[in-house]
Amino acid sequence: MPFLKTFIITILIICFNFSLFALDSDSINTNSDDFETGNFEDEVYDPFEPINRAIFSFNNVADKVILEPVAKGYKNLPIPVQSGIGNFLSNLKMPLIIVNQLLQGQGGNAIDSTGRFLVNTTAGILGLIDVADNIGLEKKQEDFGQTLATWGVGDGFYLVLPIFGPSNVRDTAGMMLTYATDPINAYAIREDETWILPVRTATNAIDQRSKIIDEVNALRDNSLDYYAAVRSSYYQNRKAAILNIDDNSQTPLPLISIEFE
Amino acid sequence: MQIFTKIFFLFFIFSTQVFGDEASNWLKKEIDVILDAYKNTNISNEVRFLMIEDTINYNFAGAGIAKFVSGEAWSKSNKDTKKKYIKLFKRHLALNIASMMKGYSNQSYQLINAKYDSKNKVSLIDMKIFNDTGELIVTWRVKKAKDRFFVIDFLVANISLVETKRSDFNSMLKTVNNNLNKFNKLLNDKNESSYNKLVN
Repeated sequence: MPFLKTFIITILIICFNFSLFALDSDSINTNSDDFETGNFEDEVYDPFEPINRAIFSFNNVADKVILEPVAKGYKNLPIPVQSGIGNFLSNLKMPLIIVNQLLQGQGGNAIDSTGRFLVNTTAGILGLIDVADNIGLEKKQEDFGQTLATWGVGDGFYLVLPIFGPSNVRDTAGMMLTYATDPINAYAIREDETWILPVRTATNAIDQRSKIIDEVNALRDNSLDYYAAVRSSYYQNRKAAILNIDDNSQTPLPLISIEFE
Repeated sequence: MQIFTKIFFLFFIFSTQVFGDEASNWLKKEIDVILDAYKNTNISNEVRFLMIEDTINYNFAGAGIAKFVSGEAWSKSNKDTKKKYIKLFKRHLALNIASMMKGYSNQSYQLINAKYDSKNKVSLIDMKIFNDTGELIVTWRVKKAKDRFFVIDFLVANISLVETKRSDFNSMLKTVNNNLNKFNKLLNDKNESSYNKLVN
């Protein structure tokens, strides 16, 4: 009960603070040009850009020196091993995905996710095999950041977190809530098996990174300002996740003129 | 009256489907040109890139995208600067697409879900790429103009290449006070380093 009370108070404080941050980000003056379209770079509120850039450079070096080589090594593991690890980690996230779906009023998705979790945990041998996908129970991601956004909490300012990478105030709070409420983490702390937390986080990072090696390299090698490109990519991806856009066709269309071709 | 509404509706559905299929067939041919260039081991990396660059330059609305991503710097620039910028941008775009497609060259793909957005007159074609541990959906935005098709955007995980480039360019343009002439120098340097990474 005291935990529930703390949780509710934390949420209320976060919502209040984010409303203030959101007001701040809404008041930025943007420069319009001759194209009427949404500009992600103008929507991003990044008052701590110099600090963020410094952390970004550190993360970039850490990625090049540690994460990318390890992810490339991970890619050499047999495919069933890679799939098994990815599925297992993904299944561990399901309880909180279900909670967030319920908090966002997505009853249907919560039922599907519960079915998915039960099927994969049992028939899929603790989530190692994604049996649920084959019977039409699709994987849908929801987190506390998305829930807060659905409740009207603004982005707040842009943040680059050491090791964890791009985020914003709302999503960082969402991430902290995830860590605080995750049942596996709670179990590990209660049983004094805290080593599980960093191992799980690191394995998850390696698994995720291994899936986007080419995309990240293409972006890094071809961006004039890699920081700005990552920031834009982060906001586009999060915006789509919050609006539950499963389909690329719903992302904003840039107005490209073909008059000069 | 109802029968006319139904006929109109069916005709509308049919025509958008045909339009989507037409764009899809065209796109498949062009994607295969790029992927085949990667699979051809008898050509040098330089020749391979030039082949890919030709395909991309012909099929992408390069000049229109160049104008869009340059934002307000465009209107401040003279004709010669714009021409030089478009030339540099087209190479930059080719380098971006080529390095992304390089990663997909050893994977199989299928074009699924071609849709026609009649409001914006744009076809959206999903490309499902099958990799070792799963699938990835890439969406091509294609527009018909001047009796042919042009690619106007390319999306991976809801991230638009054009929007990302616009943010990337906008950030660098701010450092040169939106002076496209000075920006061209930065773009040229970037193209050279990207080219060296791709072909070496």
